Amino acid sequence: MGFLHLFIVNKSGGLILHRPLGPAAPRIGTNEWLRIGSTFHSLHAIAAEASPVKLPGNKNQSGADDGIEQIEGGGIILKCLQTRTGIKFVITAEPGTPDLDTVLREIYVLYSDCALKDPFYELEMPIRCELFTNSVDNLIERVESGGVKAR
Amino acid sequence: MSSKSQAVQAGQTLWAKMPKANAELFALTYGSLVTELVRDYEDPIEVNAQLDRIGHSIGVRCVDEFLSKADVAGMGSATRCSNLRDTAEVLAKVGFKMFLGTGAEAGGFSQDQRSFSIYLQDNPLSTFVELPQHGDDHQSGGDDLRKLKYSNLYCGVIRGALEQVNLKVECSIVRDTLKGDEVNEIRVELKEVLADGAGDDYKDE
Repeated sequence: MGFLHLFIVNKSGGLILHRPLGPAAPRIGTNEWLRIGSTFHSLHAIAAEASPVKLPGNKNQSGADDGIEQIEGGGIILKCLQTRTGIKFVITAEPGTPDLDTVLREIYVLYSDCALKDPFYELEMPIRCELFTNSVDNLIERVESGGVKAR
Repeated sequence: MSSKSQAVQAGQTLWAKMPKANAELFALTYGSLVTELVRDYEDPIEVNAQLDRIGHSIGVRCVDEFLSKADVAGMGSATRCSNLRDTAEVLAKVGFKMFLGTGAEAGGFSQDQRSFSIYLQDNPLSTFVELPQHGDDHQSGGDDLRKLKYSNLYCGVIRGALEQVNLKVECSIVRDTLKGDEVNEIRVELKEVLADGAGDDYKDE
């Protein structure tokens, strides 16, 4: 049961963060990551169009754009949190990893507390905040050792 | 659809979870910011524009914090808005409460439901403030400061925050307790609902 990767995609489909979260995470080059990020962004949008169930305005029940929320494969689970401001937080993990939803929401809170409050961070740009990456690492450590209680 | 009492409760819960700052430090810091701007730009209209810009950068960041913390606290449903009326209530009851600790009221909805007002009874930014009186001799631009919108920051914050959720609005301060009115009123007008998202490119091919 391990977390693999976290990636964050901005409103226009550009990748603003990718971070391996554990030892089992495959190491891929940055360009590959950029490609993966934009591909996911487009697939997310196309899925809403291709879906047999179309929601009004393509907005799901939490008000954010509808699209891929979860992909389950043989050795991987991918979960995506689409925020109302257009950012996607995507996490991949080995099957059986608990608390993926909670972790994604906590990462959103960390993003708003660490990355956004950094006065030198420009919106939609790659995140280069140590505080944010350290907090994410600490969060993953806490989850792997003890589990995160929903607040 | 969020009901008013649900919004009030959400506002209080979220305010309780936020780290608090000293209200005097907050008011005095803002006051020094405004006086510096007045000294630098000298023209109160320009200062208003700068305050709006500063508020805008605050607003675009605030909204993610608002949405993420509400979601984690289980109050996600309180932030769901199906029309502009809901947006106004959530803005006043949850947003203002969460960040400033004071409740605000939403009202003054226009006939076409495209504009509303936010009423603030106590303004934490103007705690110690007195605008210089008209006709002060030693201040060359003394009576011009009547044109200064001291709390214009709020207009920028609202504009920036709503822009991130695809609502393009224009805000202005129409009544100000610093100028003698009984309540602070911010008028918010919806200009357009922006449609974004990659989905638009793939429709109807």
